[in-house]
Amino acid sequence: MAETILEVSHLSVRRDGRPAVDDVSFALAAETDTALVGPNGAGKSSLVQAVLGLIPRQGGSVRLLGQLLGPRGQLPTAVRDQIAYLPQVFALQGRFPLSVAEFVGLGFDPGGLQVGWGRCRQRREAIARALAKCASEGLAQRLLSELSGGELKRVLLAFCVARPRRLLVLDEAQAGLDAQAAEQFHNLLFDLRRSEGWTILQVSHDLNMVRRTCDRVLCLNRSLRCAGTPDHALSPPLLEEVYGRSFVPYHHHHQAQSQVQAQSQQHEPQASALPAERR
Amino acid sequence: MSVEPAGLLSLLALPFMQRALLAGLLTGGLGGLMGSFAVLRQLSFFSDALGHSALLGITLGILLGVNPTVVLIPFAVLFALLVSSLVDNSKLPADALLNIIYSSSLAIAVLALSQVRSYAGGIQHLLFGDILGVSWLDLSLIAALLVATILYLWCTRRSQILLSLDEPLALSRGVAARWQRLLFVIVLAMVVALSIKAVGVLLISAFVVMPACAARLVSRHFGRYVVLAAGLGAAGAVGGLVVSAAFNLPSGPAVVMVQLLGFLAALAWSGLAGSRPMGAGG
Repeated sequence: MAETILEVSHLSVRRDGRPAVDDVSFALAAETDTALVGPNGAGKSSLVQAVLGLIPRQGGSVRLLGQLLGPRGQLPTAVRDQIAYLPQVFALQGRFPLSVAEFVGLGFDPGGLQVGWGRCRQRREAIARALAKCASEGLAQRLLSELSGGELKRVLLAFCVARPRRLLVLDEAQAGLDAQAAEQFHNLLFDLRRSEGWTILQVSHDLNMVRRTCDRVLCLNRSLRCAGTPDHALSPPLLEEVYGRSFVPYHHHHQAQSQVQAQSQQHEPQASALPAERR
Repeated sequence: MSVEPAGLLSLLALPFMQRALLAGLLTGGLGGLMGSFAVLRQLSFFSDALGHSALLGITLGILLGVNPTVVLIPFAVLFALLVSSLVDNSKLPADALLNIIYSSSLAIAVLALSQVRSYAGGIQHLLFGDILGVSWLDLSLIAALLVATILYLWCTRRSQILLSLDEPLALSRGVAARWQRLLFVIVLAMVVALSIKAVGVLLISAFVVMPACAARLVSRHFGRYVVLAAGLGAAGAVGGLVVSAAFNLPSGPAVVMVQLLGFLAALAWSGLAGSRPMGAGG
């Protein structure tokens, strides 16, 4: 039986005094890729942030790598160091004087106070390795604030891969990327997941990508509406239940690309374009 | 009117001038050091509001009949914590709230000071600083704070950078964001409080913001950015004092003008180097 990396039990979260997540329970087995889908405002970001202890929870429990998450999000440093999180928005205000190599080094450094100089040689090697794994060696001396959207996402993955991790949590990692950059990002993520043995929990609006790469889908609309394999959880009746009655999944063929669009009365349309042959 | 070179040298050799130069070196370096992080964490206006509000603390000391410096440090720390909590919990934008707080506290302080006869003519010194009047006790306190600040920033450098980049990312890496924020605000308040005598309430934010902004424009590595900001702060302060002595100008504004020149030079350099000063690449 596969090891359980994340176990969430009866989790409830409130935001701005309103319930955002209600009584959600699920578990992630080791080295699986699970997508969290649902309309805007369904509580997906709140759920992943509460799971990591970034925001307070009002009820339930979370166990990460066998360790119970404290009421204020406390986790032993050794456990925290095995978890990586990519936030939904990573917007730098103006010129930020931090090189890519320095940023990736922050992903290597363990948590807690840093009194000494750190393990310089080991650190340098880890940074170079991480950048090479993410095809970003040429970016080492560039400023983080000078990167394009696609380069920044690769560097964020290098930040994650700079030290061994067990769990990677991504909150709409493909947001802001064009179709080609999103495709490259997911291919890299797919390869890294295999080589690094990561367990992934990712919030996504890209249902085509979810069908193609994920093992399991959790459908959230404040509470968990369905869970299962992509074929089961993304079937039209279940999608309609999650996104609302006006949800229309359709396939649009254009230049060897297939497109799935999710529309809902109360939410903005979401679109994605991915090569059909990998579906 | 300028002073002859020989006269300038003998002026710089005077004990009060040497104390002033040392105070400039220390407060300039301290301002640049804290400023390098404050600017990235978008706390520039917060430090400005702290500086302006410090006048209220000084007024409190004068009204109570105790040394204003003794009152100013705890006042600045408490004030910073209160304002920080207000900003965190208010539905108003932070800049609007800070504007209300600092203009109100400045007005209250000036009104109260105008009623104290002994200080009616001394407001100028409080507003623009009196670095020539810095004592050895002031210098010792500033030096101790500089050492404490360097240690604090060194030990928490990873947390400080991550918090400057993105708070959720920092939290996910185990950074105690709330405590780090409170601690940073306390240290910033102490830096502002101890630098007020030398720089004045109106110019203190320039000490914090200008060297950091200049360093930000030309640095491509974080470590060098912090060192450059501290160095520019110290060099600007010392250079400004020398200019002030040479041309018989008020010291605080002279220091700020030298720092402005440094900033303009950095701006020109960044333009010549072809770097993009604002925004991430698309």
